[in-house]
Amino acid sequence: MVNKFIPQSLKEALLILSQHDCYIMAGGTDLMVMKHRSSGLLPNFDKDVIYIANLEELNYIKKEDNKIIIGATTKYIDIMNCSLIPQILKDIIIEIASPSLRNMATLVGNIGNASPAGDSLVGLYLLDAEVELTSMRGKRKMLVSEFIYGVRRIHREPDELITAVIIPCHDFTLTKWKKVGSRKAETISKITFAGAYTIKEGIITDLRLVFGSVSITVVRRLELEIKYSGLSVTQLHDKIPEILSDYGQFITPISDQRSTKDYRYKVAINIARDFLTHIE
Amino acid sequence: MEKIKLVINHQPMELEVDPSERLLDVLRKELLITGTKEGCGEGSCGACTVLVDGVSYASCLTPIANVIGKEVLTIDGFNQTEQYRLIADAFSELGASQCGFCTPGMIMSTYALLLKNPHPTEEEVRLALSGNLCRCTGYNAIIKAVLLAAEEGKERGIKW
Amino acid sequence: MKKFFPNSTNKIDNEEKMAGQALFTDDLVCKDAQFVAFVRSTISKGKILKIEVPTLPDGYFFISAKDIVKENVVNIIVSDWPVFADGVVNYYGETIALVVGPDKELTIDLAKKIVITYEEETPNFAFVESSVHKHFAKGDLKKAQEEADFTYTETFHTGLQEHVYLETQAMLMWMEGDKITVKASMQCPFYVKNAIVRTLGCHPDNVRVIQPAVGGAFGGKEHYPSILAAQLATAIVKVKKPIRFVFDRMEDIAYTTKRHPSETTYTAYVKNQHITGVKATVKLNGGAYIGCSGVVLSRALIAVVDCYTISSLDVTGDVYLTNNVPTAAFRGFGSPQTIFAFEMFINHVAQAIHVDPLKFCLAHLAKKGDITAVNGKFHDDIIMPQLIEKAMQMSDYKRKIKEYSQPHSNRGIGMSWFLHGCGFTGSGESTIINAHVKLVKEEDDTIHLYTSQVDFGQGNRTTLKKIVSNTLNCPEEQVFHEPPDTDHTLNTGPTAASRTIIIVGYLCEKAAQHLKEQWVSGKRIEIIEPYVGPSYIHWDEASMQGDAYPGYAWGVNVVEVSYDPLTYQTHVEGLWSAYDVGHAIDERIVVGQSDGGVAQGIGYGMLECMDIKDGKFYQKTISDYIIPTSMDLPYMETALIDNPFAYGASGAKGAGELTFVGVAPAVCLAIEQAIKRKINKIPANPEYIMELVENGKD
Repeated sequence: MVNKFIPQSLKEALLILSQHDCYIMAGGTDLMVMKHRSSGLLPNFDKDVIYIANLEELNYIKKEDNKIIIGATTKYIDIMNCSLIPQILKDIIIEIASPSLRNMATLVGNIGNASPAGDSLVGLYLLDAEVELTSMRGKRKMLVSEFIYGVRRIHREPDELITAVIIPCHDFTLTKWKKVGSRKAETISKITFAGAYTIKEGIITDLRLVFGSVSITVVRRLELEIKYSGLSVTQLHDKIPEILSDYGQFITPISDQRSTKDYRYKVAINIARDFLTHIE
Repeated sequence: MEKIKLVINHQPMELEVDPSERLLDVLRKELLITGTKEGCGEGSCGACTVLVDGVSYASCLTPIANVIGKEVLTIDGFNQTEQYRLIADAFSELGASQCGFCTPGMIMSTYALLLKNPHPTEEEVRLALSGNLCRCTGYNAIIKAVLLAAEEGKERGIKW
Repeated sequence: MKKFFPNSTNKIDNEEKMAGQALFTDDLVCKDAQFVAFVRSTISKGKILKIEVPTLPDGYFFISAKDIVKENVVNIIVSDWPVFADGVVNYYGETIALVVGPDKELTIDLAKKIVITYEEETPNFAFVESSVHKHFAKGDLKKAQEEADFTYTETFHTGLQEHVYLETQAMLMWMEGDKITVKASMQCPFYVKNAIVRTLGCHPDNVRVIQPAVGGAFGGKEHYPSILAAQLATAIVKVKKPIRFVFDRMEDIAYTTKRHPSETTYTAYVKNQHITGVKATVKLNGGAYIGCSGVVLSRALIAVVDCYTISSLDVTGDVYLTNNVPTAAFRGFGSPQTIFAFEMFINHVAQAIHVDPLKFCLAHLAKKGDITAVNGKFHDDIIMPQLIEKAMQMSDYKRKIKEYSQPHSNRGIGMSWFLHGCGFTGSGESTIINAHVKLVKEEDDTIHLYTSQVDFGQGNRTTLKKIVSNTLNCPEEQVFHEPPDTDHTLNTGPTAASRTIIIVGYLCEKAAQHLKEQWVSGKRIEIIEPYVGPSYIHWDEASMQGDAYPGYAWGVNVVEVSYDPLTYQTHVEGLWSAYDVGHAIDERIVVGQSDGGVAQGIGYGMLECMDIKDGKFYQKTISDYIIPTSMDLPYMETALIDNPFAYGASGAKGAGELTFVGVAPAVCLAIEQAIKRKINKIPANPEYIMELVENGKD
């Protein structure tokens, strides 16, 4: 017999998690699909479930110390409509799922889910986002890019709750988002791309290329960012084939029911090339 | 089982149900309110669209625990209102309902849109309905119907 | 409120559908309806050696071939589809048994505990041995071959298509005394009834089938419900309680019938820039059972050169069985496959000989009096030139086709021309269906129309009623047309083949005319009107020669696309159609069919991919198998031009399939222009386009 907990406060939730290994259900848009059996039947949970969607104390967006902090139960729709949120994240969110699902689902939920095709993750990696994990033992933070280590694999202890995502403010010259799906709306990504750069006095001080749905986790390569920082725009344009070749090593998509690995690879490179070509 | 308190179609209710039960099943199987349909069970077709505190939700993915204390509105609770009548008349005029299975969900998504944006553009209508699949109409009549309802609502000074 | 369709009628069932009050099968209240779990084969081909069923609690039943009362077969044109697999299985997912019981969860768990031991055999997924073979010829192909100054050969492939009706397969069956009563999401109540009668060997009076609200069908509920009904009927005689199932979406995608994939090869013999002869071979994948595949093949072959007149033909067609889910009816029923192929082909031939495709196609376009592909005749006026002109004018085709052929243009515009034979092939209406409409004027002078036509969105419940009220010149409210109930209506035939308006509508008009002649107020008058078609229609099925259909509807589609070279994606920017459906009884309804047909055709042509991997469908959910959303389509514009058919009610022909069959080539011709490569396969999705652009020649 599986327990279903509906905590009334964060404190209560943490107490429950300290005693039970639970599925953490926020909006339900992922868990309710994964555990769906058939119409009229309860979802198939093989361990306890804790429902946190209604914890109002985790429903917030605030700015502190040049960082945007988004609470765990904040829905996509509210994030999208908030002026504090960086444009690239808004561009990402409006292409996730459908209007109803954006009313129900949470950004933190997308992190907890850690799907290789998770669109928001690509933006969060680009923005150096961190997760805040809270338990009765205390709080800690971790980069999202370190928190996720595989397909649906995260470094969350069973007694921990992801309570917020923390996004440092950046001053990029330009950010770009591109999602390639199978249709214009309500589509799971075939490949995704987030790019950003900063130019100061003709020198590119920061150049980020991040790819999604092309590997078991989001692909961001800090060593390549270091390698290609400090170039002038002309130098950068000359190095485009080299940059693409370097990134290409890490773009290792699969073929599945939605697309082929050749398509995903080629399109990822095309989009990256287009991004780099348009830097000026 | 839990005692879940919420409001459905303006009626306060206290239901003894499993918190993980889908809102769609509570509506259709427990309460026998069958206006809301199930088309896919995975949140992808929109046939199960209801309003929760005035915004559209996919009821097939909503555990009842998530709507404790909230106001749920289904087509069954909406279809006696002036706002429904306006949308329905526009749908009739354009022929926006063929087999009818997607229609309750379409109408609820339409209402959700007009509540927030009473004067949408064609693009905004297409975006608002992008989670409601229709296999019969190609969306043509539906988009025109929503714009007609918005126009008519503006002329009559209807408050959505 | 602004009026868009001043002459159109509000559909009878519109209010209840919009309000969520129309009762679909799963909405019906049935307190003790038992649940069903389907036990299906987990191999593609083999023998069933052993079935081990756990001990079932009271009230739970295991139903299989051993429970068949009379015949373990369902007639779907050909009687080769078993009710339950008996000793052998021929496709992954074939139904072997049912578990029926009062609790859904337990029913499903019990079904999961059943252990089936198979002796697996090597399945066949290739086109190896033909199960249905057809051949016909016209003119003198040998001469055309000898005299040709240019020859061109090309092969085309079309893929599977899944119906994605928004309401999945569903059926409720119960006993009223001795009588089995059924409400189901279906197209053909009498097919369902006959399937039950045949498998149980019971008296037809002991089976009653009633239509509830039906949420879309498109051919997917033409045949498949007959199988399901036979299975449930076998169960109900043991269970003796009401039984209901509603397929989950994944179940529906995985196990129900799909459109026939095809491979068509044409060779054109050209002399003096005119195609004088065509050799064609058409191959269809029938899945594991023939069922209706022979008729699908017939339709594909009859449409083999689409709306063009070619003097000499040699046409071969074959259905190949494979160990996959059987393929069956889907809007168009064989003609979309060959219409796609030939429209692309004739345009490619034009390009190959450097003739303007528009001129080239016009030179071959069929005219009244021409001999058809099957040596029949186009008896009626053909107004294609007007349709073409109208469609080109609406879409600004002439300017765009020039502009988009510029080397750096990333846009394309494509136009397709097509026809659709309305009604059952040849004399099928008279000999096989033999429809009878019942029209009754009661003593209170209300008029009651009885047909077996199912309205699953096409509005025929309203249109047929309107034909009667128009003919009688009485208010529409005076005429009643209830959804079919086999206890009250005669068999007016299936709701398929674009026959409802052209055949049944015509019957309704005739019946109403007879009623008008005999009208006496206050007296009950009953008219039974049998179908009598045009006497000049003669067809020989065996040789496939003669007049294939009583009448043809004609159409033109224009599609405009934009292309993104970075992602190889195309987006539909414009959709224009012009149709000759004889006469639109209700314009709003016909335009609705046009809109929906075009949307579904865009899906077929460029979006909907279903692959087979290890004998199973690779795409499993409605997120894997994608149909267009509201953001994938622009507005559609439709023009209807009257061309009354002598044997149609007010001249009406058929529209349901016409509006689908030509879209795929139109969108592909547009994409061809944008990408500057030849397309010979659908769906023309971005992955395929990438292959063409990166590897193909200009």
